[in-house]
Amino acid sequence: MPPVVRLLAKRLGTSLIVLVGVSMLIFTIARVIPGDPARIALGPNATAEQVEALRERLHLDEALPIQYGYFLRDLSRGDLGISLYTNRPVTADIAQFLPATLELIVVAGLMMILIGLPLGVIAARYRGSWADHAVRIFTLLGVSAPSFVWAVILMLIFAFYLPLFPIAGRIADSYAIASVTGFLTIDTLIAGNLAAFGNAAWHIVLPAFALSLSGIGQAARLTRSNMVETYDKPFIEMARSYGFPERRIARRFAFRPSLIPSLTIIGLDFAAMLGNAFLVEAVFAWPGLSRYGVAVILRKDLNAIVGTVLIISAMFLLVNIIVDLLIAFINPRIRYSQRAS
Amino acid sequence: MNRISKSLAAALLAATTLATAPALAETVLRLDEVPVGELDPGKATDYADSILMFNIYDTLVIPAQGGPGYVPHLAESFEADGNDFVFKLRQDVKFQSGNPLTADDVVFSFERMKALGQGLSFLFKNVDGIEKVDDATVRFKLSQPYSPFVASLVRLPIVDKKLVMDNLGEGDGEMKDWGQAFLSANGAGTGAYKVVSHNPQEETVMAKNADYFLGVAEVAPDTVRFRYGLEAATVRTLIAQGEHDISSQWLPPEVLKSLAADGAQMLKETGGGAFYIKMNTAKPPLDDVNCRLALASAYDYASGLKMVAVTDDVAQGSPSTGGVPVGMYGAKPASDAMNRDLEKAKEHLAACKYKPEDFNLEISWIGEVPIEERFALLMQANFAELGIKSEIRKLPWALFTEQVTKPENTPNISQIFANAVTGDPDTLLYPMYHSSAAGTWQSPEYLKDEAVDAALEKGRAETSDEGRQAAYTALNDRLMEIAPSIYAYDRQSIFAASNRVKVPALSDPAKAFGLDGFGFTFRLMEMTGE
Amino acid sequence: MKRAAYILVRNPLSLTGVILITLVVFGALFADFIAPFPEHRGAVVDFANFNKPPEWPYLFGTDLVGRDLFSRILYAYRISLLLGVVVLAIAVPVGVTIGLVAGYIGGWTEYVLMRITDVFLSIPPLVLAMSMMGLLEPTLTNGMLAVTAMWWPWYTRLVYNLTRSEKEEGYVLAAEVIGASKPHIIFREILPNCVPSIVTKMTLDLGFVILIASSLSFLGLGVQPPTPDLGSMVADGAKYLPDSWWLTVFPGLAILVAVFGFNLLGDALRDILGVDQ
Repeated sequence: MPPVVRLLAKRLGTSLIVLVGVSMLIFTIARVIPGDPARIALGPNATAEQVEALRERLHLDEALPIQYGYFLRDLSRGDLGISLYTNRPVTADIAQFLPATLELIVVAGLMMILIGLPLGVIAARYRGSWADHAVRIFTLLGVSAPSFVWAVILMLIFAFYLPLFPIAGRIADSYAIASVTGFLTIDTLIAGNLAAFGNAAWHIVLPAFALSLSGIGQAARLTRSNMVETYDKPFIEMARSYGFPERRIARRFAFRPSLIPSLTIIGLDFAAMLGNAFLVEAVFAWPGLSRYGVAVILRKDLNAIVGTVLIISAMFLLVNIIVDLLIAFINPRIRYSQRAS
Repeated sequence: MNRISKSLAAALLAATTLATAPALAETVLRLDEVPVGELDPGKATDYADSILMFNIYDTLVIPAQGGPGYVPHLAESFEADGNDFVFKLRQDVKFQSGNPLTADDVVFSFERMKALGQGLSFLFKNVDGIEKVDDATVRFKLSQPYSPFVASLVRLPIVDKKLVMDNLGEGDGEMKDWGQAFLSANGAGTGAYKVVSHNPQEETVMAKNADYFLGVAEVAPDTVRFRYGLEAATVRTLIAQGEHDISSQWLPPEVLKSLAADGAQMLKETGGGAFYIKMNTAKPPLDDVNCRLALASAYDYASGLKMVAVTDDVAQGSPSTGGVPVGMYGAKPASDAMNRDLEKAKEHLAACKYKPEDFNLEISWIGEVPIEERFALLMQANFAELGIKSEIRKLPWALFTEQVTKPENTPNISQIFANAVTGDPDTLLYPMYHSSAAGTWQSPEYLKDEAVDAALEKGRAETSDEGRQAAYTALNDRLMEIAPSIYAYDRQSIFAASNRVKVPALSDPAKAFGLDGFGFTFRLMEMTGE
Repeated sequence: MKRAAYILVRNPLSLTGVILITLVVFGALFADFIAPFPEHRGAVVDFANFNKPPEWPYLFGTDLVGRDLFSRILYAYRISLLLGVVVLAIAVPVGVTIGLVAGYIGGWTEYVLMRITDVFLSIPPLVLAMSMMGLLEPTLTNGMLAVTAMWWPWYTRLVYNLTRSEKEEGYVLAAEVIGASKPHIIFREILPNCVPSIVTKMTLDLGFVILIASSLSFLGLGVQPPTPDLGSMVADGAKYLPDSWWLTVFPGLAILVAVFGFNLLGDALRDILGVDQ
């Protein structure tokens, strides 16, 4: 078996165990709470009989392990139950709201790489200079405020005072774009509608930037410290004495080895972004999972809470597996077993 | 890298110019409300749902424009026959599907409402059944004299039976799911607007129905985009930037103030309801009438009203005069405004069997209505002057409606915006104060008072205006005596609107309807083309 | 000690951190004396002065019921710091102990403990805390509980990795050879060598706990009014943008200042204690 396949199999196996654990944890939390979900779901005017009937249908009268058994049975059929809030299958709800959130996170992730890594490289190459200090302050500020504070500040400056960007939504109403991937920036290109693409891209800039600021900070800091460490190694001195240009040394010898730890951080930051996306979406009225997630949490919509958390966790694990594979791909010498999580 | 950023900049530039390009000839009206938008006529309840119902569906009667009472709409005429009511239907009405409207549809709509037992079906508790007399005549059979019945028909949208039967979903019995799956995503009415797309969390798009039986004026909007859950700051900016037309009534007064200063028009909907601060009479210390009266006298009515003032002459409320809002049967005149009286409050408190230092009031506010937090703080400060401690608790609406089903879980103090869902005082007051209706979001008082019950029953049984007037006057007097609630102010809904739309029903009292939400009949709106 | 002082003074950023945190802690501790309107921490309404932009004597303006924002921010710092300290006081001992045990003992103990840790780590922190807060009553105690539940695994992972490398070191092997007990090795030999890393992380985390707690209350899952809370101030104020900007901007900056300060301080500590990243 080729090592990459073995790595993949092992990571998938562990992830599955972890996911079962996650489902048990969140399932338990969701069921031991006070308040009757059936009564909440049926609304103010329902009769006692209707509430009882719904309780029975949801198996709320059974013992917890039996309820969990029903849940696993349904899950194996790809069924996460009906959301009591929207009266629709949870899977349908998630399928509808997830793409917008994912698009936001992917764009934010790209910003994090395209801005964070170069900043780290600059800081490392000119360490001790004003540029290094400027990058350090910028990156520290980035991680020092919750993304909703950045969202509000960016919105205030670039949408209210200088109306350069739209303040809400994903795309102007006038564009009707067929959904293929659910990512509007991609769907508009598939439709060949450049104006719509521009509009969608224009809408995503501010929220994605607000979301990426803390990631940019972490990516830049990490790249810098790794590169500085590499700069102190003898082979850099040797390269210099051979007359390699500084630019080439930075790119070829110092940057590349520091890419691997940075990738690891990106995987972890994805988790933070999944959470923070809730905050940024709330500020920019981004029609993603956030409003749904908060609404179902406040309404104690059990199926929807369990489903949403499960899907988010699964995505998080998936991204980390992808990151692991990427690292293995970049550097085959890495000992597969060394990286634990 | 450089090339990419250049072409991205070009794309962005293109987007900016396009977004500001002049609108198409087709007129679009954009408005918002809180989620969820419920499209099923059997489940519709709140303001957002009402707007959908009043435009996609029609009802047998509608409120009269510019005055009290109800006029036939899908009905040609109606008459009372003993306790029963007989309706003759118009013959020229077609559903949006093309099916003609017949008595079968009315019977089906009523039976579906009863069978689902959700939404506003409680309005029809006194109706034993419905009978098709012939294709154009139906008879509603009532179990007892019930004068508000005609009014409650504004809450019975007539559904296209054939269309629904063709689209039944999974379920048990002959009627399977009663078309719930279909009707939660599609329209099946005769209304002036058709559903183009519907997402209960985000937006319902509607388009003019060219075949509407009354016709639709040219100036009425061609397309309506009804959005759910926009933030106040978003609405405020969208209206200022010309990308939104009518706000919801839930904008905080400060935001309305800024919009008014920017030149937005303020649309107004008066009457029908009030802001009630409800006290749980089933649990100490507010089971003692003197403690309740103390709070009612200590509450600062004037500051409360100041909080909801928008401009000098526009406010989200007007002074309350008692349990019945000004303008309804039995209400006191507007000059009799409630006032704070701290001395009287202290007297009442001295007579109360609980000592203020012995209790800690729980003041709740509904998380979806931010202004209630300020009222909670106002009360906390007011009551503190009597030496009463209190604790503020934010409750999401869904949780609140669940907690009030048990008196011991119901907060000492809850804040409710209530209105008469049919325009009749019975639908405002009965669900709040009748002992049989205790324990819903409207009745967290758990009031059990024989005099109140008697007055409420008399009010719905009496058919003459004078009789009803007398019943509700007696009710109002009793409600002042036992103070189950603090009657904070009479509600006035204010909507900020752009100048691209005129809404006579919400700006000209002579064209107003006595039913909340009916002013949002899109066919009566006029796009100005600005 | 001298070296520490030298590092702090030499680096302007570290010095800034020390100053910021001193101000924040000082402001929170002595809010009763510094706040111009100490009574505004609670349920006070003053409709003569509501929604006022920053002007004397309201340094940061007033909120929608007329309370001084500056005073409320000082008291909000008090709650935030208390929350941070309590969360870490619970999360660190729990997380560190589990990490030490799993790392040193190994085998099945390690496998089970670390998989449980992984479960907590695989739910995005904010989502876990949100779910818990949504299901519990929104009180300060429950807020602490929810944040603690998401925080301990990070210490487990940190200490676990440290322990795994430390246990191959000569001094541990020596202790084993002379027959020291497991608890002795874990807590008397290995733990002291982890302390610098733990202390550095704690300083950084104090800022991040404040950040996460404010995120929770931003979503309406935090402490209840009239208790001042930075996150809910931002959330409530955001409805009144852009007109009443001071309602959001000052509480937002207050969060920024505190977290920024703890970050700078954490960096400085890292230099002083010589901890690797």
